[in-house]
Amino acid sequence: MAKGTTIEVKNLNTWFGRKHILKDISCYFEDNCVTGVMGPSGCGKSTWLRTINRLNDTVGSFRMTGEIFIEGKDIYAPTADVYSLRRRVGMVFQRPNPFPMSIKDNITFGPKLHGINDGDELDEIVETTLKKAALWDEVKDNLEQPGTTLSGGQQQRLCIARALSVDPPVLLMDEPVSSLDPLSASKIEDLIVELKKDYTIILVTHNVQQAFRVSDRAAFLYLGELVEFDKTAKIAEAPSDPRTEAFITGRIG
Amino acid sequence: MDDVKSQLRLDENEAYEETEDTGYHPKAFNEFERWFKRQTTIHGRRDLKDLLFKMLLSVVVIIVCMPFFMVLIQVGTVGMGVLLGSGPGQGLDFFLSTPGPGLQGGVLNAIAGTAYLVGIAMLVGVPLSLFGAIYITEYTRPGFMRSSVEFAADVLAGIPSIVFGAFGFTFLVIYLRIGMGMLAGGLTLAFMMIPTVLRTTQEALRQVPMSLREASLALGATKWTTTWKITIRAAFPGIITGVLLAMGRVMGETAPLIFTSGNNLGLPTSVTGPGSWVASMPYTVWSYISDPRNYVNDKAQATALTLMGMVLLIDLIANFISRKVTRRLV
Ligand SMILES: Nc1ncnc2c1ncn2[C@@H]1O[C@H](COP(=O)(O)OP(=O)(O)OP(=O)(O)O)[C@@H](O)[C@H]1O
Ligand SMILES: [Mg+2]
Repeated sequence: MAKGTTIEVKNLNTWFGRKHILKDISCYFEDNCVTGVMGPSGCGKSTWLRTINRLNDTVGSFRMTGEIFIEGKDIYAPTADVYSLRRRVGMVFQRPNPFPMSIKDNITFGPKLHGINDGDELDEIVETTLKKAALWDEVKDNLEQPGTTLSGGQQQRLCIARALSVDPPVLLMDEPVSSLDPLSASKIEDLIVELKKDYTIILVTHNVQQAFRVSDRAAFLYLGELVEFDKTAKIAEAPSDPRTEAFITGRIG
Repeated sequence: MDDVKSQLRLDENEAYEETEDTGYHPKAFNEFERWFKRQTTIHGRRDLKDLLFKMLLSVVVIIVCMPFFMVLIQVGTVGMGVLLGSGPGQGLDFFLSTPGPGLQGGVLNAIAGTAYLVGIAMLVGVPLSLFGAIYITEYTRPGFMRSSVEFAADVLAGIPSIVFGAFGFTFLVIYLRIGMGMLAGGLTLAFMMIPTVLRTTQEALRQVPMSLREASLALGATKWTTTWKITIRAAFPGIITGVLLAMGRVMGETAPLIFTSGNNLGLPTSVTGPGSWVASMPYTVWSYISDPRNYVNDKAQATALTLMGMVLLIDLIANFISRKVTRRLV
């Protein structure tokens, strides 16, 4: 069983082409807690998240300076292995995106990539991850059914299970409930709270209430600048920057 | 304004009265009559214009559809006569025997020939177009190279097939000295297929949401694995549909084969060389229809009917795959 790990970001700057997106961000993500990242649309939340599993590397115009350490290792070091990094940093996307294959194959895809081929072991992974994602009871009799036939909320939990299938200590979630109905959304929020026991979770949202409900620590990002990063309770009570206050009271964003 | 309103109310009343007036006629006829009345009742100049326009449109529709039905009736009746008949070269024999003396037999040579030619075309054309499309779409960034390949493919897809025939003859038959026959014909069909399959494959790949690729990469998959296991898998129905449609199209082409495949009243005995001359269904239709003998003309119709049936079947399969899977993905 994985335990969460810490993530340290040092002087991170990123660009898409000549557009400066993230501006000199430094911070420290604690392990085994949920850090909520808030901010108005387009301020760079997704970009930030995607630097942590190096998914931005696939964008041609992306450029960055600065360092990110996971468990003390610089993930952008020339010798760093991007594939094993991504194995250790799971990601859940804004829209549910199950692979066009069965529920079971959706879960086993990751483990198989990393050399697990034993049938029993894979079955075990399918069961434990689906249970962790609170989906097992709903799908245990239909594991061969295509993942795309599930409801939106179920699909998103399947995607969470898929992310957990390779047992990553870190889980990145990019507005995982914004495309779902309220009931599915609250189910997934509960799930996130449950998961933080074992994972370091970074949850991007532009829903302030959700950040307050779910997260232990919160970051406020505004136009690419890290304006505030503190305990959620502290930010909810007395934000130290007027822009944060304006955002959480709904005046900007 | 008021005028129009009262007019409308009047219309409603009339319609209401008409619905009352059932019982005399069988239901379907009654409905048709009501429909027809509604179409033809004239209340003013606007309605008249409307009616005239509707009539004009109906005439246009009939003219547009007529060739289709005429082809179907002509090819269908004459062709069916041969396919259902029991003489020499009729019925099942039509599919199972070669023409023989006086072209009295069936067209097995043409059916098998088309199968060989299309088989070679697919064997060569499909992998090339698939790899091409995958490389262009997944491994290059938008830019000069990508747009020039796409432009070239679009232009090629629009070129008349006789030009491919001429190219196949000069390049394959003469310049490369392959000689006429199965290989030259099949390769020419492959050239014709490549642009279409390339473009439809590209389109299918492009339909795959970026986040599906990213989900795979985020699990630690390589680009290669992502492309083969996720992207192509998601695009597969679209790819197959494109391949089938292109296959249906080249099956019916005569022009690319006239100078490249030759013709053969028997079955080919080799892939290249003189023994490889091969018949094909469209070519056979063409040569049989210009024959002075009546029963040979009839066999041309039967061949055409068979070819149409085959292409229709392929299109139906393509349609089925694409519809079934769009439902699954959306
Ligand atoms: N692949 C890309 N190429 C070029 N520019 C990009 C790319 N992805 C994002 N950007 C730009 O980077 C900026 C930040 O985008 P990002 O997606 O990180 O915002 P966000 O905070 O996640 O917004 P939202 O809340 O709407 O998801 C935007 O101005 C966007 O236009
Ligand atoms: Mg975003």
